[in-house]
Amino acid sequence: MNEPQSVSAEPRSGAVLSPKRRLAEARTELSLATERGEGGSQALKQYSYRMDAMVEQLFNEAPRASQSVGVWALGGYGRRELCLHSDIDLLVVFAGEIGPADERFLQGFLNPLWDLGLTVGHHIREVGESVGLDGDNAEFLLALVDARPIAGDASGLERFLENTDAVATATHTLEQLRALITERHARFNGTLFQLEPDVKEAPGGLRDLFGAMTIAKLTDPALLKQGGAGARALADAEDFLLRVRSTLHLQLGRQHNILGHELQERVAESLRYPGTTPRQRVERLMSDYFRHARAIDRSLRWALRAAPVPVGNNLVRGSDGVKFVDVRRAADRPDTWLAAFQAAIDCGCAVSDETLTWLEQHAERFDPMDFFQQPWHRDDLLRFLRPRPGLYERLSEMHDIGLLGQMFPEFRAINCRVVRDFYHKYTVDEHTLLAIRNLEQLTTPVPERRRLSGLLSELAQPELLVLALLFHDVGKWRDDDHVSESSRMAKRMFDTLGLDPEARATIEFLVEQHLSMSHVAFRRDTEDPEIVRHFAALVGDEERLKMLCLMTLADVEAVGRDTLTPWKEELLWGLYVDAYNHLTHAYGDEVIHRNETALAAVIDGRPADLDASDIEAFLEGLPRRYLQLFSRDAVYRHIRHARDLRPGAIEAWIERQGVGWELTVLTRDQPFLFSNISGVLSSFGADILRGYAFTKSDGLVVDMFHFIDQERFLELNESGDGQLLSVLENVVSGRVDLAERLRRREEGAFRQRMPGTPPVVRCDNESSRRYTIVEIFADNEIGLLYRMSRAMSESGCDVDLVLIATEGRRAIDVFHLTRNGTKLSPPQHSELIANLQGVLEGRP
Amino acid sequence: MKLIKSIVRPNKVDDVKNALEKLHISGMTVTEVRGHGKQKGHTAIYRGQEYNVSLLPKMEIEIVVPDSMVEDAIKAIIEAARTGEIGDGRVFVLPVDETYKIRTGEKDVF
Repeated sequence: MNEPQSVSAEPRSGAVLSPKRRLAEARTELSLATERGEGGSQALKQYSYRMDAMVEQLFNEAPRASQSVGVWALGGYGRRELCLHSDIDLLVVFAGEIGPADERFLQGFLNPLWDLGLTVGHHIREVGESVGLDGDNAEFLLALVDARPIAGDASGLERFLENTDAVATATHTLEQLRALITERHARFNGTLFQLEPDVKEAPGGLRDLFGAMTIAKLTDPALLKQGGAGARALADAEDFLLRVRSTLHLQLGRQHNILGHELQERVAESLRYPGTTPRQRVERLMSDYFRHARAIDRSLRWALRAAPVPVGNNLVRGSDGVKFVDVRRAADRPDTWLAAFQAAIDCGCAVSDETLTWLEQHAERFDPMDFFQQPWHRDDLLRFLRPRPGLYERLSEMHDIGLLGQMFPEFRAINCRVVRDFYHKYTVDEHTLLAIRNLEQLTTPVPERRRLSGLLSELAQPELLVLALLFHDVGKWRDDDHVSESSRMAKRMFDTLGLDPEARATIEFLVEQHLSMSHVAFRRDTEDPEIVRHFAALVGDEERLKMLCLMTLADVEAVGRDTLTPWKEELLWGLYVDAYNHLTHAYGDEVIHRNETALAAVIDGRPADLDASDIEAFLEGLPRRYLQLFSRDAVYRHIRHARDLRPGAIEAWIERQGVGWELTVLTRDQPFLFSNISGVLSSFGADILRGYAFTKSDGLVVDMFHFIDQERFLELNESGDGQLLSVLENVVSGRVDLAERLRRREEGAFRQRMPGTPPVVRCDNESSRRYTIVEIFADNEIGLLYRMSRAMSESGCDVDLVLIATEGRRAIDVFHLTRNGTKLSPPQHSELIANLQGVLEGRP
Repeated sequence: MKLIKSIVRPNKVDDVKNALEKLHISGMTVTEVRGHGKQKGHTAIYRGQEYNVSLLPKMEIEIVVPDSMVEDAIKAIIEAARTGEIGDGRVFVLPVDETYKIRTGEKDVF
């Protein structure tokens, strides 16, 4: 958008002119210039300035609106190419919802324009309108390209545009423009050589010129200098056509753009064409016309052929890669630079050399916080860091030009850093980037790496792993203990990005433990269950285990070309499997005891409203894993609810967590409790992705379900959580029949069942001292958890502990069961497995 | 002169090296190998899927010692590498006729 310039149109006496007088004076001035044959670009610019002053005056004289409002010139008026009888296209943007006072303002502003006899095209918009511009009509979209603020709040349009998808809008605008050009040219039989041309509409006319300019504006401002007829020829053509058009408007006293035979003589005379006869003057005029029309036509064809493709806000993809459309706009917005690299990954191309050089020259002006000013900038970075092809190359580009070091000064500390240790083959910075490349390569699986690729695809936030890799060796700028130093430096980055506590804890863990898994796998006896137990305890949960395994693999492989041998990979995988099995099967045996360190730490950090005895009573007997799965704040919250729990009551709440929701339930155990809770969620269309269920020996139950609200029940109903919790209470207390609620939904699910991988049910009496473990691997579907757990309860089993996970379309659920307080006997195993298989196959 | 070839658990390499160094045996070749003995690997279970790990990762340590040290070296290796469980590995002893230093072409004398 261009900044408005103003001209003084006030008389020297200081008296304010009326709008009518202003318009009349402006028209007289333009008419006189046209009569002199000078009604070209300069005269129309001046006329537009005068029109601006008049519009601004009417804006100021209108009744005051109730909110911030701005007026913008669109189309030809926006370009300051307003002819004598051109329409005036205006856009009025309100900051908020339009009220009665705003309507009065509109009437007071627009009516006088109509009263002056002007043809006004107006568009009224609110900043908060969420409708994307890609649904708007072509003319409006094209007019918007030349939008220019005239009066009032000049920021409204920018804020309005921020709500739209810039790429979709630019792409749609260009598509519409191409379609309009094709359609218009067809009306003229596709030739510019019209003996009675329409100077605006015909091929080679003003619309084609503005079409070429619009394409350049949306994609590459230098486009028309690089090919076609060239910038100078276009400027001459524009001035010529505008002078002709101004003459036509003046001669006929109305909007008329066809240069017919009769008018050709008058225009040739007005434009002072030499010649002794009218015929000679007309021939010279029309010869000039076709010369200029041909220049425009050539430039338009070039623009249509060579224009880069919009790939982001202020970003296009050209033959040399991704670049900014308007570098001046990008210069003071470092927070938008990452988008160029993101777009390059999305398009599978590089960032253009020209853009990289430009970024290199400007990067030093900014501090880390300048790149991450708002929470969405952090989210953009995390999205950018998701491992996929191209990430290594883009990060390397950012590093080469110093941008990565400006964003993260910690990384700059290892720029070309050499550590002579006789096994690392590369500098520390390149080792780090290669480690990320190794991870990236797992996103295009090859048969021998399928199991590791699978782990990566299962990670909920693989970008945290990349961020951890980026920082895992930054501490090597020093010669001593690099792990602690890397961890310390990573913490500074946490603050820069404003990462949430869980993300911080995950990255901190990975950086601090990035050598642990290789140490245990390569140098410890992993066949010793105690070694595996210690390692599993260190890792804590499956997600971290997967991350650490992948980090170790990527890190070792980045040491040198042949460092990660199949032999080492086998050792790593073996440790991963053993630790995974330990985490999912044996955790029930490791419970929190009074006087242990973890319990003391929770007591020491307790808030004032909790007594040590409350905490002890709650935690004692719960698996240690509970403390690894829940944050300290969540633990204290559970303790408060458990303390207040009345007999037979349920303490439950639902909260949004990222793109999903979490249901937490604290209550006393009873038959079918777990299946009832999961069934209620299913009855509301919830897709349960992960969860945990803990049952203490005193009967206290703590369950947490993370789910996707597939039918948007919670999102669309303000009291949806209350309704769900009410149903839960009624189902658990037996007042509502859950089976009835679920029947229709389950029938639908069975009908829609897709052929998938055969389910697997596995019973294990060896891995745990206290529990029989049942693992179920099946295609995920609504109600699966409910049906499985119900079958277990119907078989007389108590569902004591549950781990719920979903990986892709596959549900992976691990149940810890007892029957009358002991493990299941072999016949009970067989019976249970038969029942579960029946449920999985849909048998009644 | 004998070539002593030991197949040991990966985590026992450092222990074996230390034990041999105490006997002033410092020259050795260590190689990552995979194989199985009588145990023929084992069955692992991951997410309900059983798979057979038939070739287990082991380390091979090769040393060449004079006949007079063979017994001590074998004893040191076995003591350092033993856990008492299946999979501790094997020691092979092979005769060596001659050895040469490649850099000088000089024949070693034991």
